[in-house]
Amino acid sequence: MTDRDKTEENRIKRKKTVTTLLANIGRVFLDFLASTGRVTLFLFQALSQGFRPPYYLHQILRQVWEIGYLSLPVVGLTALFTGMVLALQSYTGFSRFNAENVIANVVVLSMTRELGPVLAGLMVSGRIGAAMAAEIGTMRVTEQIDALTTLSTNPQKYLIAPRLLAGVTMLPLLVLVADSIGVFGGYLVSVYRLGFNPALYLQQTFDFMEIQDVTSGLIKAAFFGFIIALMGCYHGFNSKGGAQGVGKATTYAVVSSSILILITNYLLTSLLFEQG
Amino acid sequence: MTPKFSLKHLHKSFGQKHVLQGVNLEIFPGESMVIIGGSGTGKSVLLKCLLGLLHADKGSIQMDGQEILKESSTQQEQRLQDIGVLFQGSALFDSLTVWENVAFRLIYAQHMNRKEAKLIALQKLASVGLNESVANLSPAEISGGMQRRVALARAIATQPHVLFFDEPTAGLDPIFSSVINDLIRGCVNELGATALTITHDMKSARAVGDRIAMLYDGKILWCGPADEIDTCDNPYVQQFIHGSATGPIHLETDLQHVA
Ligand SMILES: Nc1ncnc2c1ncn2[C@@H]1O[C@H](COP(=O)(O)OP(=O)(O)O)[C@@H](O)[C@H]1O
Ligand SMILES: [Mg+2]
Repeated sequence: MTDRDKTEENRIKRKKTVTTLLANIGRVFLDFLASTGRVTLFLFQALSQGFRPPYYLHQILRQVWEIGYLSLPVVGLTALFTGMVLALQSYTGFSRFNAENVIANVVVLSMTRELGPVLAGLMVSGRIGAAMAAEIGTMRVTEQIDALTTLSTNPQKYLIAPRLLAGVTMLPLLVLVADSIGVFGGYLVSVYRLGFNPALYLQQTFDFMEIQDVTSGLIKAAFFGFIIALMGCYHGFNSKGGAQGVGKATTYAVVSSSILILITNYLLTSLLFEQG
Repeated sequence: MTPKFSLKHLHKSFGQKHVLQGVNLEIFPGESMVIIGGSGTGKSVLLKCLLGLLHADKGSIQMDGQEILKESSTQQEQRLQDIGVLFQGSALFDSLTVWENVAFRLIYAQHMNRKEAKLIALQKLASVGLNESVANLSPAEISGGMQRRVALARAIATQPHVLFFDEPTAGLDPIFSSVINDLIRGCVNELGATALTITHDMKSARAVGDRIAMLYDGKILWCGPADEIDTCDNPYVQQFIHGSATGPIHLETDLQHVA
């Protein structure tokens, strides 16, 4: 083979790579649009069904229990250690400027505005989003969802709407708890490890905290709860093909809700940031 | 007489897989129709098309003269209110107890109070040979054959006038098979229900069916009165009911496509 043949071949190869690359990007983009459409349609159906009676109170309470109460240990532990680490790390940083007295402020601000909602969201997505996808997915592949339909019960109303409702309402409550425990963690480390005056630390915590720090975190939490429930339900509801399909649905639910939480967090922060 | 169900040129494919390829069938009110056919021929798919759980690609399905391929979801909900279904995999709700499963439609759709609903559920469980001791168990705690019977009890709990049974006797011993056959016959004779039963079990097909239809290769190959099936001269039907390995029905293996 001559050199010219070789360069010609390389050129064709490169051209091919470029076209396949473009085709792949195009395909990913189209897939993205298609799945956004499907999720929106799914959500629309769930909402339009969910607002119409009958309401399945028992189902709603069960989800409230699962999301709100049973997630408390996981979320509490995460918040406690995060608050503790925050106090330690900010001490390391701020003692270099002799600004140790802002630690209380840093802890409470980071917890309420950022770490409370995001960490609680990610932990709950692993716990609840996965469980929802697995439960609904199993119901799908074992024909239980078909059975619901034939027993005059709308599966969207019976399964999806209660989960969405519980997600939206329970996450803010969980985050409120997480905020308090996180601040308490910071207090523990500051007082018992770093030797702060307890009364002074608490005063500093509450003096600088504004109500908006907390509410902005709670608004985020409501969005995150919605995302977790929506992704868990959507992937579970559309799973197919036995145990393997359910496993896939679970993975998709956790991965997609985690990514969406992080993106939404940025968008909401920049929105809320503009309002001070 | 207008048929209860009338299927014309029904087609359903999954991708390249053409499962139903022009099914024509009529089921009359108060009749017990049995569909037989090898596994994987699309019997369960046909049943799901009739329920509207799967959307057929082409053709027409009429129930009481109404086209169901064009119905809205509200119409579907209304239509399903008078239909009881036993799914092939039983499809019991595992978050509920056995009796709550049986009473599901009574409690959730008809808003009956739980005490009354439980009484009815226990009655229905007794009619499939299950006593009170299983009523409070969860479906995961009972055997597959028992699950099947619970699912049957759930299908007939509200005494619907249309019944679909997907392999009701699969996995049951001969004695319980007879009990189930009698039960289905009873629903048809006493309630005047229209029943469609899918089965492999020829004994059950003869016991339950007024008429038998055989599904093969995506079409209804033969359809006739149950007592004529032994004398019909269709070689496919003869091979199926005698279960012989040789005959016109070839075992459709993937190897064939390779060869
Ligand atoms: N949801 C589905 N997606 C793809 N293929 C399906 C689906 N449901 C059934 N099939 C295919 O349709 C064929 C008939 O299935 P089925 O009706 O369950 O058979 P049977 O007659 O044993 O009840 C099978 O080959 C199966 O692979
Ligand atoms: Mg089947």
